[in-house]
Amino acid sequence: MMHALATTPVLHPPLRGPVTAGSVQQQHVITFPGGMPGFEACRSFVLMSTDDDTPLHYLKAVDGPDATFLVIDPRHVEPEYKCELTEVDARRLGVTGNSPLVWLALVTVGDGGTVAVNLRAPVVINPALMVGHQVIPHQGTYPIRHVLVQGE
Amino acid sequence: MLVFTRRRGETIMIGDGIEVQVLRVGRDGVRLGVVAPAHVPVHRREIYSQICEANRAAANPSADLAALSRRLQRQP
Repeated sequence: MMHALATTPVLHPPLRGPVTAGSVQQQHVITFPGGMPGFEACRSFVLMSTDDDTPLHYLKAVDGPDATFLVIDPRHVEPEYKCELTEVDARRLGVTGNSPLVWLALVTVGDGGTVAVNLRAPVVINPALMVGHQVIPHQGTYPIRHVLVQGE
Repeated sequence: MLVFTRRRGETIMIGDGIEVQVLRVGRDGVRLGVVAPAHVPVHRREIYSQICEANRAAANPSADLAALSRRLQRQP
């Protein structure tokens, strides 16, 4: 199993109760300059480990409307996962050379319990600058809804 | 809405540093070239809308995480 997300300082320790900008450790705050599609007002997020032994993490907005996402390393779903950053994406993330990056795919749990993963538009974080961005490739081969577990 | 008539190879300028050029006009579509600064995202609208919709569906899950983890671990 992959635990590539342990890159400090990306992972915030688990938090209990409501999370606000004031209750998180500032060095763990990841800035999304453009927010996320559909959540453009959310500019600051923390990535939290979950208590359970699971490949899932929480990506939680600490400003703007309530927004918490379950995320997973896309390579956990698709071991050969590869998504290229455009020059525009790389600039937005402040990527220089071979900066190590954290890749995350958003997980959706449907009403019937179907678990789907968005492999098309991954969230990418540059831990060196603590900047994040959801990449929307112009040419995509991965699905927006990759069904991981079929519902009941 | 501003409406322009443009021929192949002609361009419109939007603000500072954004240009949209008509590259080809076909029977079923128009091929456009877009030049924009790095901080200006350019997307096909329907793709962006699909990602918005997917993000909204993913937000604030009410799932029982422990049960979900068990189900994920049963995956090959």
